[in-house]
Amino acid sequence: MWEVMFWPIVACVLLPWLLVYLGLHVVQRGIIFIDIAMAQMASLGICLAVLFHLDLQSWTTFGIALGFTLVGGAVFSVTGKRSSQIPQEAVIGISYVVAAAAAVLLLSRAAEGDEEIKNMLVGNILLVTPHEVWKCFALFVVVGVLHFIFRRSFLLVSFDRDGAYQKGLRVRWWDFLFYAVFGLVVTSFVRIAGVLLVFSYLIVPAVCGINLATRISRRLLIGWVIAWLGGIAGLFLSFWWDLPSGAAIVCTFGAILILISFIGLARHRGAR
Amino acid sequence: MKRILLLLAAIPACSFSAHAKINVVATLPDFGSLAREIGGDKINLVVLAKATEDPHFVDARPSFVVSLRNADVLIDGGAELELGWLPPLLQNARNPKIEIGKPGRVQASQGIRLMNVPANVTRAAGDVHALGNPHFTVDPIIAKAIAQHIAQSFSALDPADAAFYEANYKKFEATINAKLQEWGAAMSPFKGQQVVAYHDSWPYFAHRFGVNIDIFLEPKPGIPPSPSHLTEVIAQMKAQKVKAIIVEPFHDRRIAEKVASATGAKVVEFSQFPGGLPGTDSYVKLIDTLVSRLAAALK
Repeated sequence: MWEVMFWPIVACVLLPWLLVYLGLHVVQRGIIFIDIAMAQMASLGICLAVLFHLDLQSWTTFGIALGFTLVGGAVFSVTGKRSSQIPQEAVIGISYVVAAAAAVLLLSRAAEGDEEIKNMLVGNILLVTPHEVWKCFALFVVVGVLHFIFRRSFLLVSFDRDGAYQKGLRVRWWDFLFYAVFGLVVTSFVRIAGVLLVFSYLIVPAVCGINLATRISRRLLIGWVIAWLGGIAGLFLSFWWDLPSGAAIVCTFGAILILISFIGLARHRGAR
Repeated sequence: MKRILLLLAAIPACSFSAHAKINVVATLPDFGSLAREIGGDKINLVVLAKATEDPHFVDARPSFVVSLRNADVLIDGGAELELGWLPPLLQNARNPKIEIGKPGRVQASQGIRLMNVPANVTRAAGDVHALGNPHFTVDPIIAKAIAQHIAQSFSALDPADAAFYEANYKKFEATINAKLQEWGAAMSPFKGQQVVAYHDSWPYFAHRFGVNIDIFLEPKPGIPPSPSHLTEVIAQMKAQKVKAIIVEPFHDRRIAEKVASATGAKVVEFSQFPGGLPGTDSYVKLIDTLVSRLAAALK
């Protein structure tokens, strides 16, 4: 069992902490589907690379994919106006469908069989390699340090936008930086673990944290515990019952969230 | 927890020591069915892909890695059909017994002349397999060659039972030889007739049984049908009075039905894999079913 599950478990221990933290931002900003939109942007970039017959593992391809997520980040930071009739989630949704449809069009011209692209985009946590784990971990540490150094501005922009404007912060630029880094994190984790898992790691622990605590540090702590519990429990279930690992983790998260909601509800009642 | 771990660890160990059966993993159900013909009850057989699953895309589960780790023999196509999912599994299983070149690795395509080998491999041609078309097991003569290859591998790993494997191969060979007459007779009235397929999985079948299967609903392998391509296919089908469209369980049947209703052709459900159609639990029954279904549609 350990021979098969060791690296997936390592990945589920070492990697989710940053996603949980970014998830708190994402939920607070109310831009739940940003990760899927960003991942789709990156895949559009990869489809373009396919069209020009580039090597899918090369740095050029990576650069193109990154470029597309940056474009996405720029769009989202421009549209995230202070007071707008159009919710940011609408822009995100539109970006997702257009990017997805554009990818279909490009592929129909590029005529690549979609196996490789699917592999490229949607990883399988069960088959993660040590090299991938360490590469992703190194990136996450760099991003984590960046977020730690500029935590005041990042948190202010996400949690108190009016305050950020009043303090004269260049909100657009901070937004762009946030989205750009976020895109990098999401695309690299999607390649290891797949879209479903990225979404769950971002949203579920954050929602549980918000359910049970008010201070950001406590929410983060709760989120981390839940991310580790859910990930590892999901992997064990996937082994015992021989289920696809990513989907097993996601459903474990779903079950945990229901449980936590009941606890939150009970506490709420008790407080009254 | 500890008890469950021990239990899990014990399962492969006892099944091996108690009966000393060969642990065989086949990537696809067609190889699995041939392995069963040869190995009988002297092998433990695990087939990774389901018969109704698209062999290009298979979802990995933890047991796949475990099976590959414990395997004495791995039978795969060797022609890139499983390219999208087998290599990462093998990388994780790290089992030296089933490395390429070892007696425990049977690559079905070895020694087979593959059809439609692209002159130069370019992505522009679609999801083309560089080594040639990998859907070869549906040709019974090729199936005999694969079965022989499997028998050699089993005999090398389990010399005590070599006579048993050899006898099973001879039996399979004789069955196929007799059946080839029967199948050939059933298909002979339709020699040279055009049949349309969803995906280019049938050149070997077409070659063996004398029909032409070279119009496809997919514009290029792996690319979903586009309106202009379907229009062209419908025009070709009307001109050539095509009577049958072959689809597999994992293809979009509605597209085939749309084309069928526009042309008056029949949709025929086909499968490359034993178990993919009802009543096809062995290789011979599968080819029986394919031949009789196609003959009925072409009549």
